[in-house]
Amino acid sequence: MARDTRGRTGGWLLGLGGYAATIACLVSVNFLLPRLMPGDPIDALAAQSSSTFLYGEESRAALVEYYGLGDPMGEQFIDYLEGLLRGDLGRSIATNTSVSSEIWRRLPWTLLLIGTSLAVSTAVGIVAGVHLGWRRGKAVDRRLLAVLLAVREIPSFLLGSLLLFLFAVKLRWLPLFGAKTPFLTSASLVERAIDIGRHLILPVSVLSVGLVAGTLLVMRAGMVSELGSDYLLLGRAKGLPERRLKYRYAGRNALLPVVSLTALQLGFVVTGDVLVERVFAYPGLGSLLFEAIGSRDYPALQGGFLVVSVSVVTCNALADVLSRRLDPRTS
Amino acid sequence: MTAVEPTAATPSPRLRPERPAMLWAGTALLSLLTLLAVLAPLIAAHSPSAVSGQALQPPSASHWLGTDVPGRDLFAQLVHGARASLTVAVVAGLLAVIGAVFLGVLPALLGGWVDALAVRAVVFVLALPGLPLLIVAGALAGDSRLAVILLIGLLGVAPNARILRSQTVSLRQRGFIVSARGFGGGPLYVVRRHLLPGLGPLVVIGFVNWAGVAIGLEAGLSFLGIGDPGGVSWGLTLNRALGEPGIYFSDMWTWWVLPAGLGITAAVVGFTFVGVALEPRFNPRWLRSS
Repeated sequence: MARDTRGRTGGWLLGLGGYAATIACLVSVNFLLPRLMPGDPIDALAAQSSSTFLYGEESRAALVEYYGLGDPMGEQFIDYLEGLLRGDLGRSIATNTSVSSEIWRRLPWTLLLIGTSLAVSTAVGIVAGVHLGWRRGKAVDRRLLAVLLAVREIPSFLLGSLLLFLFAVKLRWLPLFGAKTPFLTSASLVERAIDIGRHLILPVSVLSVGLVAGTLLVMRAGMVSELGSDYLLLGRAKGLPERRLKYRYAGRNALLPVVSLTALQLGFVVTGDVLVERVFAYPGLGSLLFEAIGSRDYPALQGGFLVVSVSVVTCNALADVLSRRLDPRTS
Repeated sequence: MTAVEPTAATPSPRLRPERPAMLWAGTALLSLLTLLAVLAPLIAAHSPSAVSGQALQPPSASHWLGTDVPGRDLFAQLVHGARASLTVAVVAGLLAVIGAVFLGVLPALLGGWVDALAVRAVVFVLALPGLPLLIVAGALAGDSRLAVILLIGLLGVAPNARILRSQTVSLRQRGFIVSARGFGGGPLYVVRRHLLPGLGPLVVIGFVNWAGVAIGLEAGLSFLGIGDPGGVSWGLTLNRALGEPGIYFSDMWTWWVLPAGLGITAAVVGFTFVGVALEPRFNPRWLRSS
């Protein structure tokens, strides 16, 4: 909200304080949630219906002992914080491996997927936004906007499944699931890179479609507000080519809000990523969360949650800092 | 989809203020879904959750959209799914705006430290990542559909409270309220006569918008397997369908995945259209500029 009266450093400090408070809240929520729910976490594990069904009181007692659930709350919290500082997120119940190593193993795939999607959507959004803003109000402009806004409303998992059905099943152009073809060890490095790229095409398309509308709208709005500028008039009077005016002059000036939007989207795309990874069985953090839900693997679920939510909050904070830095008018 | 909507703060393109086509399309979609939801037991011959035939049957005269794995009727799931989705939309939407009135409007009227605290709370909650929080809380709440609906509603409180609060604050400073007070209008009179008519439209838009968001969120969560595994919902139908190993290797996809997916899309689009179409009529900022 409005903090115009405070100085530059004041606003910055407040932002930092808010960020720290948010992180502290996430860490505490992560600790408290399973303990506030009716019953204790072991109850759900011990339920007859769960795949981790425990036999007898003894194994139950051993688990309570292992997770330190008998200790006072304060002690548990300190243990938990110490573990976090050591990078220890507990052990996965389903796979009996350390949660943090599992996260490290999957993180590169998620980063690859998210990074590529953001790069694609930003590039397409900028070019299309420049184009549409330049010919604002024309038929192309209105129609493309309407189509994009409508496509954005299709749930990502339906869109993903639809693309899979068309391109992987009916046309057989692209692979059906995963991030790479298993047992492709004999292939050369280039072949393997192509294989990974082919697996990326569909999930990246789905994620980018959700993002591109935002970038496009911001870029288009920026272009529109530059249209009547004096420098464009002067450029025209000098006889500069239209392309140069469009991209080098107006486009560059309209680019600024897109930068901070992209940083914001970095936080936003993580949530879409969880759903899309499930559709394509992509072996990243989203799949980790999904598998953890299915097998009631609470340590894995919470570890994944902590990593995902802290990155989202961090990206949003960075977007804030970035937009202040780049545009003196916002600070 | 979540509280952190990247395009919300940015200037949106000026479309024409009146959008009759959108309003009609949205209303038609929602009416159709409501009809399905209300008449669900009459339209569908079978129960959506009980086994009523052999597993994985293609569409037939008895099962219009075939059956799923234990042999539940997919057409019944589609029709009853409308009921489930609209329930989520209405309950979560109402919860969000009612909460927003308490967290946005009342503190703004009271002023002082209550207001300051409420503002801080709203800003703080808006910074939290919505979907991950929903996933972990929903999963930990166990097989509870109600918990999922309540959580979605609660998530909608902060964004709506922010909108309602800023409108309340600006209304309070307007001339007509200042003069109504000056002429001895009591607080209740001012609220009833000036504040409610000013805020009502925003509450309606907030409800419609959050109802649409709620349908998408609920579908996403049940698609991930959160909520009652034995329940009926479009997201759950999709969850089971994509969990079926052979889903892509026959035409099953067209009658198992597509109808439920289109149902979700229709519901979300219906609410979005109505919300977008109502915006220029109701939003004072639009009225002033047009």
